Amino acid sequence: MERLVFDAAAALTILFAGLMVMHPHPVKSVLALVVSFFGLAVCYVMLSAPFIAAIQVIVYAGAILVLFLFVLMLLNVGEETRGRERPIQRWLSAAALLVFAGLLLGLLRAHGASAPLSFGPLSGDVAPLARLLFSRYLLPFEALSVLLLAALVGAFVLAQREKGA
Amino acid sequence: MIGSIPLGDVLLASGALFTIGLAGALLRRSAISIFLSTEVMMNAANLALIGYGSAMGSREGQIIVFFIIAIAAAEASVGLAIFVALFRHKETIDVNKINLLKW
Amino acid sequence: MSASIPLWLVPALPLAGFLVNGFLGKRLGKSFVSAVGVGAVGLATAAAYARLVPFFAGDHSAVVERIAPWFSAGGFSAEIAMRLDPLSALMTSFVTFVGFWIHVYSVGYMRHDETEAGYARYFAYLNLFMFAMLILVLAQNFVLMFVGWEGVGLCSYLLIGYYYERQYAADAGKKAFVVNRIGDFGFLLGMFGLFSLFSSLDFDRVFTAAAADPGKYAPYLTLVCLCLFLGAVGKSAQVPLFVWLPDAMAGPTPVSALIHAATMVTAGVYMVARCNVLFRLAPEAMAAVAVVGAVTAIFAGIIAVAQNDIKKVLAYSTVSQLGYMFLACGVGAYVAGMFHVLTHAFFKACLFLGSGSVIHAMGGEQDMRRMGGLRSKLPITYWTFLIATLAIAGIPPLAGFFSKDAILGSVFEHGQYVLWGLALFTAGLTAFYMFRLVSLTFEGSFRGTPEQEHHLHESPPSMTAPLVVLAILSFVGGWIGLPRVFGENLDRFTAFLSPILLPLASAAERAEPGLSHGAEWLLMGVSVAAAVAGLLLARSWYVRGQGRVPDRIAASFPAAYALLAEKFRVDELYGLLFVRPFDWLARMLWKVVDVLVIDGILNAGAFLVELVGDLLRFLQTGNVRNYALSLFLGLIALMLFVIGAV
Repeated sequence: MERLVFDAAAALTILFAGLMVMHPHPVKSVLALVVSFFGLAVCYVMLSAPFIAAIQVIVYAGAILVLFLFVLMLLNVGEETRGRERPIQRWLSAAALLVFAGLLLGLLRAHGASAPLSFGPLSGDVAPLARLLFSRYLLPFEALSVLLLAALVGAFVLAQREKGA
Repeated sequence: MIGSIPLGDVLLASGALFTIGLAGALLRRSAISIFLSTEVMMNAANLALIGYGSAMGSREGQIIVFFIIAIAAAEASVGLAIFVALFRHKETIDVNKINLLKW
Repeated sequence: MSASIPLWLVPALPLAGFLVNGFLGKRLGKSFVSAVGVGAVGLATAAAYARLVPFFAGDHSAVVERIAPWFSAGGFSAEIAMRLDPLSALMTSFVTFVGFWIHVYSVGYMRHDETEAGYARYFAYLNLFMFAMLILVLAQNFVLMFVGWEGVGLCSYLLIGYYYERQYAADAGKKAFVVNRIGDFGFLLGMFGLFSLFSSLDFDRVFTAAAADPGKYAPYLTLVCLCLFLGAVGKSAQVPLFVWLPDAMAGPTPVSALIHAATMVTAGVYMVARCNVLFRLAPEAMAAVAVVGAVTAIFAGIIAVAQNDIKKVLAYSTVSQLGYMFLACGVGAYVAGMFHVLTHAFFKACLFLGSGSVIHAMGGEQDMRRMGGLRSKLPITYWTFLIATLAIAGIPPLAGFFSKDAILGSVFEHGQYVLWGLALFTAGLTAFYMFRLVSLTFEGSFRGTPEQEHHLHESPPSMTAPLVVLAILSFVGGWIGLPRVFGENLDRFTAFLSPILLPLASAAERAEPGLSHGAEWLLMGVSVAAAVAGLLLARSWYVRGQGRVPDRIAASFPAAYALLAEKFRVDELYGLLFVRPFDWLARMLWKVVDVLVIDGILNAGAFLVELVGDLLRFLQTGNVRNYALSLFLGLIALMLFVIGAV
């Protein structure tokens, strides 16, 4: 039963990701991606990571993609035009992608990871997660905040209009 | 609910998502689209990580994904700032046209 | 006191002189340079005689002084050791003495024309030469001797090319060095042969081993001795390697006197005499030595007859006299050969210094056709020159007579009548061309320009004193070796030098046949007659006849005369046979191998790199998407690699 839910959510995710990739209009692309991320959140829940699912929705879908939308509308970006470019990029990419997909499939099949989960069940509590985060992973956590600060400053600087000098 | 999703399904989904994101990154010409495709790829990785974490009975996968999402946020903001600066100069988002490093 | 002076001091003093004058002489003025240069050799002479006088007077047994180990590699070892025995004592005695007087002469000769730097350079090199020559004669083994051998060759090059700004002088220096090198090659081959035979290059070890077991070594010694002799041919300017000596006259005249008359060129004879044990076991080699000596003597003598440059006549005369010395050694008369080395040193040095005095008075002129009548203007020079000329012509009772007669007598004694005939003819020729020289230079009336005539003056005492000393020695120097006919025990020289001829274990040597007294007197008379004939002919043609007869002969046989005057065009022949092919080879190696092949390969490499770079350039499209694709392709490749490995 759970498997079914997971599969459906995963299918949704993949479908809308595909839509995002194919659609020429950027705004519609972003919206498709939003749906895709929701599907992904459901997947996370099925994998007993509800906290992450929540984060996914709030941060990824709710903040990052919204930011994308802001920028798109700010710059009034239009549809992607047909381009005159050498076909080799497209053909070679397609071929490489096929090869890559084939490799992945082959790997999956070869190593037979279809077995059900063998370890003990994982509860969906947040508390253990928090405990881990603030004990073993404290340093990365703090570093992360510095990173965010740096990103903030960087974005601010980069987006400034040139002062003329 | 927990403990009955085969790892193979998770990995299959993750792989498919990754490939789609990769296709977008290689085949689109608009800078935004390429960026979005990159985000998709990252999410595919997240999925795989969560899946493995769950399979191994460890929360470390979730911790890693937590960090990845935070970093993705930072990266997205900076990337969009770059994008804005670029668009201001070049009036186009066609990546093909940004080729000052051509020989 | 005498025995406490170490042998190494004798060469060390000139070496010190070289270092001082070489480094400091430029700055310290000509007087200082003269004092150091002459003083170093003077002290060396004193030190030498402090050891030599007791040696001559008392015990003549050989003394070996080990100074230091030198090197040893595998089975080969050589040490720095010096030897004092009759032969080296003889050489040292006149090398130091004559060398000293030539240094004194140089002070007067070189003082006015040279800069401070040039003057210092001259004396430094001259001292260095003395050092090398003394090492050569005092060495106890072949390797150390070779060091001295090469050293004198180097100094010869440096001093011949002293006036290096003149192309001719620079070329002459190079020619001397290169031709010497050919001989040195032979010397080295000989040394290698000796080492492979005897496993040592020490004189005592080699000679006693050879003398003790002749049968074992004799078959190989012919080749070895011929190789060693090649070295002597080069150093002592015999046919065919004599061509450097006439050109060496480009150097200052005292250099010609010291190096190319009295000392360096006799090193070859010294070497052959030193190795007499080896040569006596190789009769073919000795025959070669004798023939080369005789041929050289007459060949050079003939050329000397037609030369007009005073120094060139003396140069060819030196080559000719050296031929006599080798002729003597070749028939087994090593003692006679060394006797001639000694007397030749005296009179030839005197002749060269005298010619230097003439050239100095003539303001640099060397062509005899423009001289004449110098007898009254340069009396001391004239009289010393005359004495030396009488000596070289072999007129008794001067020194040259005794040594030359010893050689001719030995050649006849050993039954080599053809060689004797050649040598006799050459003796007459020697007297002739030498008196031609004297007549043209000093007799008759002056044929030069009026400016030259004004300039004529006798040389200063620093130059005339050595002339006098050497003339005296040319006169009395032969009296230490009086022939047997005058009395059985009067040949002090032979008695002194004989010990160097080690007795051989086999009776393979022909015993000295010995001439009867009557035969000896007859031979002496014949050689004197030949000399006198030459003298009289020269005087008749050049003094009374004022050169009309020879001029007429030259006009009647222009081709023959040209051949003589141009020294049989030997240099041109060598140029054709050897120099041109080597020049072609060098040019080919340069233009083809170096430029085309080697540079070509390098340039091709660079070209290839450029080509590849040009091709790779197309990867840099500046397009990010292409780069992303490349990254992805690389990723796939890695994946395949990892999967393949697993």
